[in-house]
Amino acid sequence: MKRMTMVAALNNALDIVLAEDEKVFLLGEDIGHMGGDFGVTRGLFDKYGSQRVRDTPLSEAAIIGTAVGAAMVGMRPVPEIMFADFLGTCYDQIVNNAAKMHYMFDGQFKSPIVIRTAAGGGFGGGPHHSQSVEGWFINVPGLVIVGPSTPYDAKGLLIASIENDNPVLFLEHKALYRLKGEVPTDKYTVPLRKATIAREGSDITVVASMKMTHEALAAAEELAAEGVSVEVVDLRTLRPWDQETVLESVAKTGRAIVANEAPKIGGLGAEVSATISEEVYASLKAPVRRVCALDTPIPFSVPLEKIILPDKDDIKTAIQVTMDY
Amino acid sequence: MTIDSNLMLNLYRDMWVIRSFETGLEREFKKGNVPGMLHTGLGQEAVQAAIARNLRHTDAFFPDHRCHGLLVLAGTPGEKIMAELFGRATGVCSGKGGSLHSADPAVGNFGDNAVEGSMMATALGVGLGFQMQGRDDLAAVVVGDGTSGRGEWHESLNLAATWKLPLLYCCVNNGYAISTAVGHSHATENLYEFAAAYKMPSVQVDGNDFVAAYEATCKAVESIRAGNGPYFVEYKTWRWQGIFSGEFRSPEEIRYWKEEHEPIKMARERITAEGIADETTLDGIKTEVDSEVEKWITFALESPPPNLSKATANVYVGWEVQA
Repeated sequence: MKRMTMVAALNNALDIVLAEDEKVFLLGEDIGHMGGDFGVTRGLFDKYGSQRVRDTPLSEAAIIGTAVGAAMVGMRPVPEIMFADFLGTCYDQIVNNAAKMHYMFDGQFKSPIVIRTAAGGGFGGGPHHSQSVEGWFINVPGLVIVGPSTPYDAKGLLIASIENDNPVLFLEHKALYRLKGEVPTDKYTVPLRKATIAREGSDITVVASMKMTHEALAAAEELAAEGVSVEVVDLRTLRPWDQETVLESVAKTGRAIVANEAPKIGGLGAEVSATISEEVYASLKAPVRRVCALDTPIPFSVPLEKIILPDKDDIKTAIQVTMDY
Repeated sequence: MTIDSNLMLNLYRDMWVIRSFETGLEREFKKGNVPGMLHTGLGQEAVQAAIARNLRHTDAFFPDHRCHGLLVLAGTPGEKIMAELFGRATGVCSGKGGSLHSADPAVGNFGDNAVEGSMMATALGVGLGFQMQGRDDLAAVVVGDGTSGRGEWHESLNLAATWKLPLLYCCVNNGYAISTAVGHSHATENLYEFAAAYKMPSVQVDGNDFVAAYEATCKAVESIRAGNGPYFVEYKTWRWQGIFSGEFRSPEEIRYWKEEHEPIKMARERITAEGIADETTLDGIKTEVDSEVEKWITFALESPPPNLSKATANVYVGWEVQA
């Protein structure tokens, strides 16, 4: 065990798989000698060389296309798209190529790529460096979406994603990059499609992921003093998500909040909320509420951004409204 | 480079496989036996024959949407391609891919991407994979002129040249992206000029001259296999098929390409003029191929519909999707 940041945990995961499997290689903008915009690939260029830690031009579609093609001939590429906002430039390669290939060729090809990308807001990054993009990808069959909330999960989920045979969109929330936690230095995996109970409680379930898990935990801590017992479920894999764990929790507590940093309309929050209503309606003591971003782009100035993005206080309010229903 | 008489006859046969396949397919499409959309390679036979003859099974190729014949020439049994186009269980992708997605990795067919031009980016990865694995195989990508307007087209050329990837760009310039003339929507109507800007060998060849098309492709493949990086071949040709609503090109243009500069006619003239074979022999090849293609069509028509469990199969590797 070693106390390290999420950046260090991700770096350690990449180091382990690069050392272990020659088929693994990284590609992306400034990931080589610079070590990435956030330092996730730092030191790997010197250790593994320019072939396996490959700097690219600003050609996102080619980055993902290259990853998909290399995966078709047996490689295990880990492309990085510097900011999740830039995924729009390679959306077609992800949605129409990586995610559909196994299906449309009826299993003759697979596309085991892991697209790492920095997501999320809260730091004054502005409209094109702050978005939570899971809603863009949530209804893409064949795609896996992963979003860790702790350094431990980040390392274990990244290794599990690289070892998995499906295309994975791996969301790294920028606000969590410097978060520290205990991480084993040896290799381990955290299973995909498996949520975790981040905090046990009995009155209400908050389903969250990434930064919102921490906002939910903070809300739960404050509400505990007021006598409300909040259970926090951290999805970890956003697609396909762990219905069993979520539904079990909601069946137990009878109340649910879905917290998601992306805009509310048509997003992950809507999907989880609808599934809860469909599957465990009889257990519900109150309607399922969503705590999401407002339906706007993300403004630059921090006071404005704070209005748009959901936080601990929004979750607390939603919990109180639901408890009072 | 010399092209021997045997090779000429083989190319002639290959071209007729495409002509016959597409003609039969068009007939069945009009009868309602082929679902979806149909884009044929009629008129572009010399290009596809040239590509097929220069690749090997360990290479990879990405066909475009007019490459049914190429898929067969690559080595997949004709009936399995035909059945796929008919949406049958016996098709090469069990009926899930159809005309636009008939892949067969056993012969190096990596499948079309019907967002045409997107495979320009994918091919980079195959080439890079081969390079990293120390293989001397190449990745060929067949793209039309219309895709040269796409960003991935240019991203691909730039990276292939930068990384010296074993990529063969086969640019089939048939003059139109659906109804829009190349020169109307691009800075040049000679697309090899784009590739030249990316510092790779690039040539333009008469895509209806089967010997010229073959020789240009052969030279490109030799250069790539020798480790010289990517190579771009632009084949000037013309497609017979009009647009969905009918014909939009001038009678004079049609006459030129379908009569005067028609690839199979040109091949026959050359083969007979050089005394390699007479008309009777060439007709014999046609008859033999036609009968084979009819067997593929019969096979497709008599094949069962797709297994319905396939509708939800292979969405994820190793994970089931609920029906």
